[in-house]
Amino acid sequence: MSKYTVLIIEDEQHILDLINGILISHDYKTIQAKTGKQGISLISSMCPDLILLDLGLPDMDGLSIISEVRKWTSNPIIVVTARTNEEEKVNALDLGADDYITKPFGTQELLARIRTSLRHSNRLNTDSQLYSRPYRCDGLVIDFKRRSVTINDKDVHLTPIEYKILAYLAQNSGRVVTHASLMTHIWGPFSETDNNKILRVNMVNIRRKIEQNPADPKYIFTEVGVGYRIKEDVNME
Amino acid sequence: MTHKQTDQHHSLFVMISSAIISTILAFLLFHYVPSSSANIALVYILALILTAHYTNGYLYGIIFSLFSVICVNFFFTRPYFELNFTLTGYPITFIIMFSITLLTSTTTSHTKIQAKLLAEREEIVSRAEKEKMRANLLRAISHDLRTPLTSIIGETNAYFEQDMSNSQKEEVVHKVNDDAIWLLHMVENLLLVTRIQENEKAKVNKSTEIVEEIVSEAIYRFKQRQPDAKVNVSIPDHYIELPMDPLLIEQVIINLLDNAYIHSKSNKPIDLKIIDENTSVSFHVRDYGIGIEPELLSSAFDGLSSRSSDVSDAHRGMGIGLSICKTIIEAHDGTIIGKNRVAGVEFIFQLPKEDY
Repeated sequence: MSKYTVLIIEDEQHILDLINGILISHDYKTIQAKTGKQGISLISSMCPDLILLDLGLPDMDGLSIISEVRKWTSNPIIVVTARTNEEEKVNALDLGADDYITKPFGTQELLARIRTSLRHSNRLNTDSQLYSRPYRCDGLVIDFKRRSVTINDKDVHLTPIEYKILAYLAQNSGRVVTHASLMTHIWGPFSETDNNKILRVNMVNIRRKIEQNPADPKYIFTEVGVGYRIKEDVNME
Repeated sequence: MTHKQTDQHHSLFVMISSAIISTILAFLLFHYVPSSSANIALVYILALILTAHYTNGYLYGIIFSLFSVICVNFFFTRPYFELNFTLTGYPITFIIMFSITLLTSTTTSHTKIQAKLLAEREEIVSRAEKEKMRANLLRAISHDLRTPLTSIIGETNAYFEQDMSNSQKEEVVHKVNDDAIWLLHMVENLLLVTRIQENEKAKVNKSTEIVEEIVSEAIYRFKQRQPDAKVNVSIPDHYIELPMDPLLIEQVIINLLDNAYIHSKSNKPIDLKIIDENTSVSFHVRDYGIGIEPELLSSAFDGLSSRSSDVSDAHRGMGIGLSICKTIIEAHDGTIIGKNRVAGVEFIFQLPKEDY
């Protein structure tokens, strides 16, 4: 199998070297860019399989790079941001970034995000059956064909809305799903995306049904101010 | 309009209105109470004292004293409606009124100057206090930052300068990693505090959050930092909403868990308990470790204390962490306290619910 190519757009040499080292030792090919302009031209000339984009670049706003790139390619973009800036994360995701990772990140976290994003983009390309294969993770099984959810082989009874939310998260397992995209997916494009209380109430109920301790969850994690992330499907490993 | 001009307008207004009122009063007395010339003079003297007291400087008082002498002479002494400066005792009346004016004006302006000086002094004192607090905080921060940095530099120098076994090298890297993680945590704390605005009504941007989501993310992040730590969480079965800045409150929970883990010197699980009170929600973080000396507990939130006098552990002082917690909780109009229990310490913070 040929190596995946990752473009790293990052202005700090130390971080660039660090990410570069991690990726090369895990069998990726890398391209590096230190400015936004250079990054955009490399995306069009080299067609990387994945783009790792630091939002704090000196020459241009990271968000405008995403919207620029999204005009002509759907290659996965993972954004690197500071933790305290929720709004920036949401904006990046809304503009078409696939996921984000907050500084500082561990090696395993970075590699997992990259694997997840590559897998999701491959699935779109190959139109594989992954959507119909059940989601499995630590005893939780979601069977999309039978529309059933079980934990350790015991049935979990969800309302139709709760099932839809859980299924959508599971289809995007490992990735963060924003409040807005969940609202639109479940309640339609004209739902009030600003008022996500209904979503959160449903989320609380889902947690009550599938988590042993909702305050210390095993499966569904909250990304405060951004959305939710369900643990990666083990089929994917 | 400048300040001085408003002051002058004010004085002029005071003088004219007291002149009109006293003259009307004098006419009423003159009309209804016969042979009350002494009372009329007293009315003018009272008005004169008031004018001198409520105006700035001597000018308005002097004008008013001239005015009242002339009024008394013109309206209320025989011959009526004529000025007659040859009356016996006239210079004495004038001199007395003039002295009252001078005396009152002097006392008034003296008091005003004193009040101004006092206010200035108070301002200087409060500014100095703020400066002192800021200096203390800066000192605490630099101390807390310098210690791990010194240790990082020391460890790496040792690595370069000595021949080390592989296990020693690994230890060095571990220490450096620990210190760096701690430093980052500190910096994140400091960065978060910049989200709190001083001197503003809405100190934090509150949004309605679900308590268990905040708690679960805080625990998740705490476990990433301290993989060996154990936390027992208990949270009410119903759904609780609470207005807050979610990242700030998450940080408070993480800081308290961190303190409990690092300073208790105990491997027993930490209890995190959330209780839904009527008008507020309280969060209890309790460890089962060595406790805090009472005198340190009382100053634990000031940013300068450290639980143990044990130097090797000093840079993991609770200092800034707890004082940041306090700043955050107070900006949310909540309260935070620490208590020694039979075994270990309990930190409790309360946040008000909406509409209370």
